[in-house]
Amino acid sequence: MTAVQSRPRRHGMRATLLVLPAIIPVAIVVIGGIGTTVVQSLGLMPLVGTPALSVDAFESTDNLLGSALLSLGIAVVSTAIAAVVGFFTAVLIISGNWGGRIVGALSAAAVTVPHLVGAASVGLLLSDSGVLARILGIPPESWPALVAGPTWFAVIAEYAWKESAFVALIIVGTLATRITSYDETAAMLGASRGARLRLVLFPLAAPSLLVASAIAFAYTLGSYEVAWLLGKTYPEPLSVMALRLFNSASLTARPEAAAVAVITLLLTAAIVGVAMLGLRRMRAWQ
Amino acid sequence: MTTHTQTTDVETSAITLTGITKSYSAASPAALREVNLDILPGTSTAIVGPSGSGKSTILRIIAGLEDADGGQVRLSGRDVTALLPEQRGISMVFQRPLLFPHLTVLDNVAFADRAAGLSRGQARERAREHLELVQMGAFASRSPHSLSGGQQQRIAVARALAAKPSVLLLDEPFSALDPGLKDEMHAMIASIREAVNPTILFVTHDRDEASAMAERIVVLENGQLLQHDTVDNVFHRPASLAVARLLGGKNAFAGEVRNGVHHSAIGAVAISSTVESGPATLVFRQEAVSASARVPDNRTDASPPVTRDSDATACQSRGPRELHGVVTSAIQRGPRRELLVRVGDAEIRTEAAPGALLSAGDSVTVSLPCEALWTVPS
Repeated sequence: MTAVQSRPRRHGMRATLLVLPAIIPVAIVVIGGIGTTVVQSLGLMPLVGTPALSVDAFESTDNLLGSALLSLGIAVVSTAIAAVVGFFTAVLIISGNWGGRIVGALSAAAVTVPHLVGAASVGLLLSDSGVLARILGIPPESWPALVAGPTWFAVIAEYAWKESAFVALIIVGTLATRITSYDETAAMLGASRGARLRLVLFPLAAPSLLVASAIAFAYTLGSYEVAWLLGKTYPEPLSVMALRLFNSASLTARPEAAAVAVITLLLTAAIVGVAMLGLRRMRAWQ
Repeated sequence: MTTHTQTTDVETSAITLTGITKSYSAASPAALREVNLDILPGTSTAIVGPSGSGKSTILRIIAGLEDADGGQVRLSGRDVTALLPEQRGISMVFQRPLLFPHLTVLDNVAFADRAAGLSRGQARERAREHLELVQMGAFASRSPHSLSGGQQQRIAVARALAAKPSVLLLDEPFSALDPGLKDEMHAMIASIREAVNPTILFVTHDRDEASAMAERIVVLENGQLLQHDTVDNVFHRPASLAVARLLGGKNAFAGEVRNGVHHSAIGAVAISSTVESGPATLVFRQEAVSASARVPDNRTDASPPVTRDSDATACQSRGPRELHGVVTSAIQRGPRRELLVRVGDAEIRTEAAPGALLSAGDSVTVSLPCEALWTVPS
């Protein structure tokens, strides 16, 4: 009896030991990194001076609210576009015809391109003396300010392009093996293509769409290189601001950089938390 | 020997297939070859055949899920060959229930009405009636994943019926269920037929299921329709030796018919006097003949011997043909005891008479009732 009872416990212990090599580095980086940032943002780990608990770094950072709203705006718009485009791209890929196969190959290729390379390419394509302007024969003075302009068009376009491919592949990965059967079943119940998309494909894709969108949102909010390359210099998104302050010559700016990072982290955690709550409520996820 | 085909008016058939052919690739053999089939409204028909014979392909072509390479599909006289699946007014239940995981049981059954544009309330009201039809009314608010396989398949049938189809196609719907559940499902289909009388065409590899659920059977092999007939005729009056084999018949003796008597390795056996003379194979099902312990004597032929062909009369007037032999093997299968009996140079597969505990080496008398005997072209 004792042996029977102890067996699962031993198995559990063994499983825990086996995953420890993976968990320990992640825990050090995530908990250690986040912990250091939070401590630093609260003035408890200054580079110079006496540690003292305060929220000065949050209050003294210039235009923190504006940068937060800008970051949220870019992330929300680019994630929304990526979700819509990604979903319909996935539908096209799942259809299995030659067009879908080409789109699938293009999406897979897009995912492998680093964001920095993507940003440089979008810059070369959309700038006022870029490839597109030259192909269309539009002089620089007449070309809209797509790069570093007030609309953040190039930044949003780059994120939307890359993340839509990511969203599409995530949806295809989760649906490819079972969607044909459900689609045929729905067709045999008299559902038209539109009804199948609305009543079957979208609800079944919703969990993976939500998860992929949450990941894309978190990445878009946290990454700096695309906004740094293609965005305006002021106002600047949180990630660009955090990096600038972190690299600042002024040592007192370090807590401010940490404060900006903490705000970014809280926004990301809040959005991902809401997404996870939404996921748990989805019947298709259960 | 007559060929057993069903001739019906195309306009009155629920399903009419004309010259249906289908190949999945140029390299592989044809999945269906010139299949012609008429299914009458309100009937239940089983398609049986070995794996790869084209059973499911027929269903998928009727449903519109596969395009035929040639031929025509008509439903109640209407040519639907070029129509999309959702435009054909057909429902299909697959081997897996495929209930939509994001919907409750009730909303699964309400799906067809929702897709047709009815409000959620109206669709659910109608769905409840169909849930009651499959005795699943109490499970309306449950999630599909909380149900057993049998319960899920009941819901799948209710969902298909809720679409008010002109034809209900079932592709091995109960093959994954255990025997007890299968019996429940057969009873459910029978009660559904009493209540709404749909035209049913289903695929099964289970001969017992085919005879339990259908009044007619279509036999397919290598994409060719071998026979479409009543259950009794397909089992006991097969159109060919292939049909007899596919339906599980194990006794076949090549020989020749002369004046209503079949001559083969098991001897002269009187059959119907209307059978034309010439080469023919005598077939009879092992379940239809029985063996019992024999009181020893010196003859190997227990019946009055057929000494001359001119003595042969109609099988009915002669009574059961009795042959003497020795059991070479005995296998118990549930309540039945299957015997292999050597008669002369031939071996007959039969079953022991109830209560007869026969085993290898026993001398037995095999009784061949007239109704069990049939000949097919050699």
